[in-house]
Amino acid sequence: MSNIESVTQAEVPTAIGVPVSPESGHEKPRSLTGDAWEDLRRNWIFWTAAVLVVLVVVMSAFPSLFTSADPGSCALARQHKGPSGAALFGYDFQGCDVYARTVYGARNSVLISLIATTIAGLIGVIVGMAAGYFGGWVDALLARGIDIVLGIPTLLAAIVLARRLSSDPNESGFWAVALTLGVITWTTGARIMRSSVISAKNQDYVAAARMLGAGPGRLMIRHILPNAAAPFVVVLTILLGVNIATEATLTFLGVGLKGDAISWGIAISESAPYVTETARPLVWPSVFLALTVLAFIMLGDAIRDAFDPRLR
Amino acid sequence: MRGQFPLKMAVGATAIMLLAAGCGGGGDETEAADAVISIGIGEPQHLIPSNATESNGAEVLAALFSPLVDFDADNKPYLVAAESVESTDNKVWTIKLKDGYTFHNGEKVGADNYINAWNHAAYGPNGNGGSYFLERVEGYKDLQSKDPDGEEGPKKAPDPVAKTLTGLKKVDELTFTVTLSEPFSGWRSVMGYTTFYPLPAAAWQSEGVLKEDFEQAPIGNGPFKMKGKWEHDAKVEVEAYDAFPGDKPKVGGVNYRIFQEQTAQYAELMGGGLDVVTQIPIENLASAPTDLGDRFKTSPNSVFQFVGFPTFQKEFEKVEVRKAISMAINREEITTSIFRGSQTPATSFVSPAVAGYRENSCGEACTYDPAKAKAAYEAAGGPKQIKITYNADGGHKAWVDATCNQLKANLGVDCVGTGEPKFADLLTKVENKEPVGLIRLGWIMDYPLMENYLGPLYGTGGSSNYYGYSNPEFDNLVKQGSAAPTQEEAIKLWQQAEDILARDMPVIPLRLGQNVFGHSERVKNVEVDKFQKVEILKIEATS
Amino acid sequence: MFRYFVRRLLQGVLTFFGATFIVYALMFANQSDPLQALAGERPLPENVRQALTERYHLDDPFILQYGYYMKGLLTGDFGTSLTNRPILEMMEQAWPTTIRLSFIAIIIAVLIAVTAGIVSAIRRGGVFDNTTLVITLLLLSMPIVVLAPLAQLIFGMRLQWVPATAGADSGLFALVLPAFVLSSLVIATQLRVTRASVAENLRSDYVRTARAKGLADRRVIGVHVLRNSLIPVVTLIGTDLGNLMAGAIVTEGVFNIPGVGFMLVRGIRTEDGPLVVGFVSILVIVFLVVNLVVDLLYAVLDPRIRYE
Repeated sequence: MSNIESVTQAEVPTAIGVPVSPESGHEKPRSLTGDAWEDLRRNWIFWTAAVLVVLVVVMSAFPSLFTSADPGSCALARQHKGPSGAALFGYDFQGCDVYARTVYGARNSVLISLIATTIAGLIGVIVGMAAGYFGGWVDALLARGIDIVLGIPTLLAAIVLARRLSSDPNESGFWAVALTLGVITWTTGARIMRSSVISAKNQDYVAAARMLGAGPGRLMIRHILPNAAAPFVVVLTILLGVNIATEATLTFLGVGLKGDAISWGIAISESAPYVTETARPLVWPSVFLALTVLAFIMLGDAIRDAFDPRLR
Repeated sequence: MRGQFPLKMAVGATAIMLLAAGCGGGGDETEAADAVISIGIGEPQHLIPSNATESNGAEVLAALFSPLVDFDADNKPYLVAAESVESTDNKVWTIKLKDGYTFHNGEKVGADNYINAWNHAAYGPNGNGGSYFLERVEGYKDLQSKDPDGEEGPKKAPDPVAKTLTGLKKVDELTFTVTLSEPFSGWRSVMGYTTFYPLPAAAWQSEGVLKEDFEQAPIGNGPFKMKGKWEHDAKVEVEAYDAFPGDKPKVGGVNYRIFQEQTAQYAELMGGGLDVVTQIPIENLASAPTDLGDRFKTSPNSVFQFVGFPTFQKEFEKVEVRKAISMAINREEITTSIFRGSQTPATSFVSPAVAGYRENSCGEACTYDPAKAKAAYEAAGGPKQIKITYNADGGHKAWVDATCNQLKANLGVDCVGTGEPKFADLLTKVENKEPVGLIRLGWIMDYPLMENYLGPLYGTGGSSNYYGYSNPEFDNLVKQGSAAPTQEEAIKLWQQAEDILARDMPVIPLRLGQNVFGHSERVKNVEVDKFQKVEILKIEATS
Repeated sequence: MFRYFVRRLLQGVLTFFGATFIVYALMFANQSDPLQALAGERPLPENVRQALTERYHLDDPFILQYGYYMKGLLTGDFGTSLTNRPILEMMEQAWPTTIRLSFIAIIIAVLIAVTAGIVSAIRRGGVFDNTTLVITLLLLSMPIVVLAPLAQLIFGMRLQWVPATAGADSGLFALVLPAFVLSSLVIATQLRVTRASVAENLRSDYVRTARAKGLADRRVIGVHVLRNSLIPVVTLIGTDLGNLMAGAIVTEGVFNIPGVGFMLVRGIRTEDGPLVVGFVSILVIVFLVVNLVVDLLYAVLDPRIRYE
């Protein structure tokens, strides 16, 4: 009943002299993590990305360190006014300080997206690995499950889920949005994982490891996962950005963040219609968003490269 | 990577333009009177007169049908398809039809066409959205039935006891009478609504049953007839009906093009593919006056926007608190900055679209005075927190947020705008008496009478009185006004009722709607009436 | 191969029922008051409510409603929407439109993404790589609700290079701009995945072997690397369809294209159960077929994978 199977007999058992697993291929008794760290320490891209990520995380945690202005103080009289000493990036449609709102918006945007992406990543890894590794009926079942989730319009599922999860009017809707996003966005990752695992498990080194007696758990985690992770990590880092934008759409539809919540996504959607009048309220949150996503992507790239044993 | 595409697009566009120019040049010289113009609408829900309760359907039907009465600049009814509409007691109305009107299939329009159409409209099981217009006609109750175990129950409602209204009687081919269950001086105006159009014999499958596909190509008695069928989500095309006896239209036909989004309509107008946009979306209002020049126009309509105080919210019980909140709102700033002049401040409880409207009947309470507001608010012990609930699918977030910001600044309170996904969600919360705070509401009139605002919005048990305001004195005055022998007397009583509202302040009037419309250079004399419809007989093509 | 195909078809039938059931349940859970949603803010007269409730079986329990619906569906009757239009007729209008739009969008996306992805991977860290990274990120950080009207404003209204809206039976030319906007949703992911997997394969042994053998670079990349790198990309096209549908909801609205997204928005907005479920049912079938094709494509791209 196997669904997808390798039957190229010639390739499987002839693994003599293949660098079997990363650790044993090296002379120095250093762990994979140690190696990776040595590698990362000298990588300027890693450092730039790390600094940006730390900055954004600090900004999410302590926005008041970056601005003394109150993001909730808005007056129509200041609508679309240009930058000044008081407001670095000028004022938006409602007459709020664009800089203050961008700084304060980081928390909702980044945290929601991080949580949602983590959830999506976890589900994606588990489902994708299981489907790809075990094949057969497990694969058939999981793959169809993915199809079902994919077939349901995201918007509909999001509206229904978010509405169910956040029935309490006094909550901010933060967790409801994060959970909703995580639960509906894992499919892309899972499918990518599945196909990567399928192609990775056919590689010689996996067969060799299996012959040396590695169990499925060890095979998956130590051998297949690191090699199948590349496209998966890429999809996840992109998902980070997408989730920030999707959060805005949900909030716009009235099922996302409640009340006077601030986030980059909300700022971008709300300023977009008036872009011909003034671009600032649209541009700044977009730049912050792009930089954050860029930082996460660069970080992901650098870490992946460092952990890839074939690079050395 | 994208850099190369614009060039190709430009080449393509040029080719298309040349093609179009070629076609135009080679074709027949068309007279302005034969020109076909295009008007943007949304997809109508229905094209059956008694079921077209939204503006898109009403807009198309206004071209296909000719009403008994229409309204002049002072919102007074004048006769169109009716020769006379008379009553001695405001209870029995005699309607005489003009001779010479025919349906587009050649049938003569007679009294039966009206009586049958109205019976169908009123019959409960037909589920017509406009049926409530006939509520006042004698016998309406017998055409309805009550589900014995409530809506949720599995049992079906029994058939109503009658199929025809006892209040409708044919006198001769061109005359019929309408008997109301109670005298109502404004009945003449009520009959101007879409629901009261006649239907031809060809519309019926059997007695009282409309043909399934009638609304795909309605046959009316109006200045235009259908050209082809209603192409859903694409267009409805109509052309001038030559045998129309009334005022002739000045164009040969109208192509009602269907758009889902208003922004798309405006984009199409700017792109040169559409002639009239009846409501320019707020997003485009900043650039529209420069984009369109003198083809950017405004006219008043009947939209009335306000926020209501649910009576179960005890913190707003005191009139002083309600008045203070009203005084702390700078309506002018919101209409100019947020709505870019597409709405105007409201200072009364009815719209200027009705006779009897008085400016600033709300008085001091609707005048912006932050200092006084704050003093009064604190003296009355208003709540520290205010919430405004709105439906997120209606584009209300911007002004609610702005209003909240004003209240924060002027009253020193914490104010939050809370969006519910849909209007129905908002209503559910109100019904469950959840603490929704102030609720956002709006009203569009059905017929231009003060009563059409006072009754549904503020009357005890009124159809849109979601906040539960109830004042017997007020109800009484509205009722007396409706029964008054003349319109003048009615208006006087209704105005007294409005004065009670100014005292009780059950809602805060915020804004009045405006039609903000624009058109292409191909058309002129474009006007949009208070029902948000293009004046179809006035519009002309520039030759 | 044939057995595999049949097995997948049978699985497909199960998936179909699973998905329609879930969607129906979702619609049901979402339904607060579809009749009020249809009436908008107008008060809904009691008699109208009563008549429509009966006409659409709104007062029946969930399982019964689902049963009515499936019974109709299996006999080819998709039912009527709450606005009394036959859903089959709406589908005949909407599906070809959306398929055309998505098809153009996918072609645009793949062409750009694969080309740019390969070039970026070969010159990793180069100017081109970094430029494309920044551009894709900017695209990514713009939600489609921003991008679509912006593109319309610039190319349709100001420059007037393309029609501002497309409408019902528009030509291919009118669809170019919406398709471009739509493709931006998936270009970023496709590009990044292509880049990652090409870079991965460039370091693999067979490439070293091929190079050692003296094969020209063009052949190594064009034949060996590309073929192996396309597997994850092909997978993506399958899932991208979902993204495209979500994007179509906005794009079709902005450019006034009465396709599937357009209908779904209306269905969700007015809580029109039969309309949404009908469209989603077909959507699921499309997914199943596309994914079957994608799985079969694996075998073509990777000879080590065999189906039985």
